[in-house]
Amino acid sequence: MRFGKVVERFIGLIPVLLGVSVIVFLMITLTPGDPVQIMLGDARSSPEQEAALRRDMGLDRPIHERFILFIANALRGEFGLSFFHRRPVIEVIGERLPATIELTLVALILALAIAIPLGVIAAVKRNSWLDRLSTVGSLFGVSLPGFWFGILLILLFSVKLGWFPVSGRIGFSAEVRAVTGLLLIDTLLAGRLDSFWQALRHISLPALTLALPMAAVLTRVTRSSMIEVLRTDYVLFAEAKGLRKARVIGLHALKNALIPTVTVAALETGSLLGGNMIVETVFGWPGLGRLVVEAIFSRNYPLVQAAVLLYAVTYVLLNFFADILYTWLNPKVRL
Amino acid sequence: MTGPFLPPLLAVEGLTTIFPTRAGPARVVDDVSFHVNEGECLGVVGESGSGKSITFLSILGLVRPPGRVSAKRMIFAGKDLLALGEGERRAIRGRDIAITMQDALTALNPALTVATQITEVMLAHGRARSQEEARAAAIEMMRLVGIPAAANRLDDYPHQFSGGMRQRIMIATALACRPRLLIADEPTTALDVTIQAQVLELIAELRRELRMSVVLITHDLGVVVEQADRIMVMYAGQIVEEGACRAVIEDAAHPYTAGLLASMPSLDTLDRPIHPIRGQAPLPGPMPAQCRFFDRCEQASEACRIEVPLRPFTDGRTARCIRLKEGSHG
Repeated sequence: MRFGKVVERFIGLIPVLLGVSVIVFLMITLTPGDPVQIMLGDARSSPEQEAALRRDMGLDRPIHERFILFIANALRGEFGLSFFHRRPVIEVIGERLPATIELTLVALILALAIAIPLGVIAAVKRNSWLDRLSTVGSLFGVSLPGFWFGILLILLFSVKLGWFPVSGRIGFSAEVRAVTGLLLIDTLLAGRLDSFWQALRHISLPALTLALPMAAVLTRVTRSSMIEVLRTDYVLFAEAKGLRKARVIGLHALKNALIPTVTVAALETGSLLGGNMIVETVFGWPGLGRLVVEAIFSRNYPLVQAAVLLYAVTYVLLNFFADILYTWLNPKVRL
Repeated sequence: MTGPFLPPLLAVEGLTTIFPTRAGPARVVDDVSFHVNEGECLGVVGESGSGKSITFLSILGLVRPPGRVSAKRMIFAGKDLLALGEGERRAIRGRDIAITMQDALTALNPALTVATQITEVMLAHGRARSQEEARAAAIEMMRLVGIPAAANRLDDYPHQFSGGMRQRIMIATALACRPRLLIADEPTTALDVTIQAQVLELIAELRRELRMSVVLITHDLGVVVEQADRIMVMYAGQIVEEGACRAVIEDAAHPYTAGLLASMPSLDTLDRPIHPIRGQAPLPGPMPAQCRFFDRCEQASEACRIEVPLRPFTDGRTARCIRLKEGSHG
């Protein structure tokens, strides 16, 4: 795959992102209620004060001007001040984002580590007890609501057995210098194995809660595409070459079977980044999800706007990466 | 050619492969016995579904469940294949017995480079000790099968080659370990007519050069006529006729062989109408106890309603027809 093609494809993302920003922009414009009224709240205010605030917020200008301003600001990472925090939105989000990214990454890795081997084994040993078990397990994983499953995990492993902390990201004793913002990596960089262990214990249950439904879907996807691939001539031909079973399955078959898995994993990861508000709330995880929920309740529009835009950008980028990964998995695919 | 005193390279006796179907167990390969001599080319002919490909997949141990393979005897190069464990069977595959498939487009892995696919055979069977050695040998092999600029094309993917070149790459892959027996399963069917002759010529050349035996599986008698020393005709899982190629072509003993010959267009006799075999080959499933060609045979009579055995009749030829008399036919 040529680099130029990647750049070309990347530029192709711009219209999508532009479309998303229009929607995000309209969100605040079309929401019922006047933002100025909401900001001023119940406090009595004179028309002069209102007009001043309106001018301050730029709401007195025509809509197209406001849109261009919004985009220009967004490109510079300026989404205004968070009403509640009285600080730039981008700063507030930046504090919470690493926690969500970390949780999502751990959940993704966990889900793939469960789903790919299980899906492959289920496909190879089709109709065996293991295959059946994975089918039933997947059905459970898909149908159980995440928050309920999370609560069960807390009850069992935290409250009853005391193996894992009930909530939060890390104990207060474990402050380390933030390099990546991901505690699992920062603690290792600082050489603080005890803190790393703490961080790992904290992230285990929420990550597992997010990973299991995802693993359930990915197992099914991997299994069915693997079954299809195992029937192909090239797998038979690979066997006829006298290759070891592990190579036939692990290289010849799996490399072709992973394309649907990557697709679904990318979509699921996107929704994890945006949609783990419930799990973050259940586990008291100081991530973006909880912040956004709070922001919605307090009508903190600038923050919601920035977060939605961020989600959209992440989603688009994830799918972009998935596309690039396809071309490696199957060189026939052209970007 | 080797003398008649050497034991055959491959000898198979009573090979039977059964697949369960809704109607009952289907004997897709039914009590098949044959041999392949050293350096010989055996043509295996029959319509699709006659069991020719499954016969050889059974010998390679590549029939997938729920298919079941059994045999009285299966000897390859003095080794009893039936007594070997899975690991030893695997060691023979690709090293001593290689197979090429009908369509290289589906037989080559779209996700792996040609280099990977050729070198891995040599590395798996210890024919190359290092990646570099294997790559050098792969380039050599690609040259041998006639791929121009082989060294530059080693890291290309199969879809970057033309159909004929892909077929050559598949052949190079199969022959990477210089096997003693090549099973060429419909090597020309997926190719343009102009390329067909080239590929056949290549197989003949490689056969001489590498001194290997070749089993040429095809539904096209024309392909067999030019290449094969002996010919084996299969119908509905059974061998119906077997003998020296020329003798069978000139004087077919089984009505099915005669039918195949009659349905073959020929440039020499353009004025002769093509005479296809009527009807269709039976679907796999339990067969009635009668000649399996009964429904389609123009010479069938009530006497054919028995299980007809494969019988020798002349010059080491055998056929499965009640109308044959010992020492003569026709």
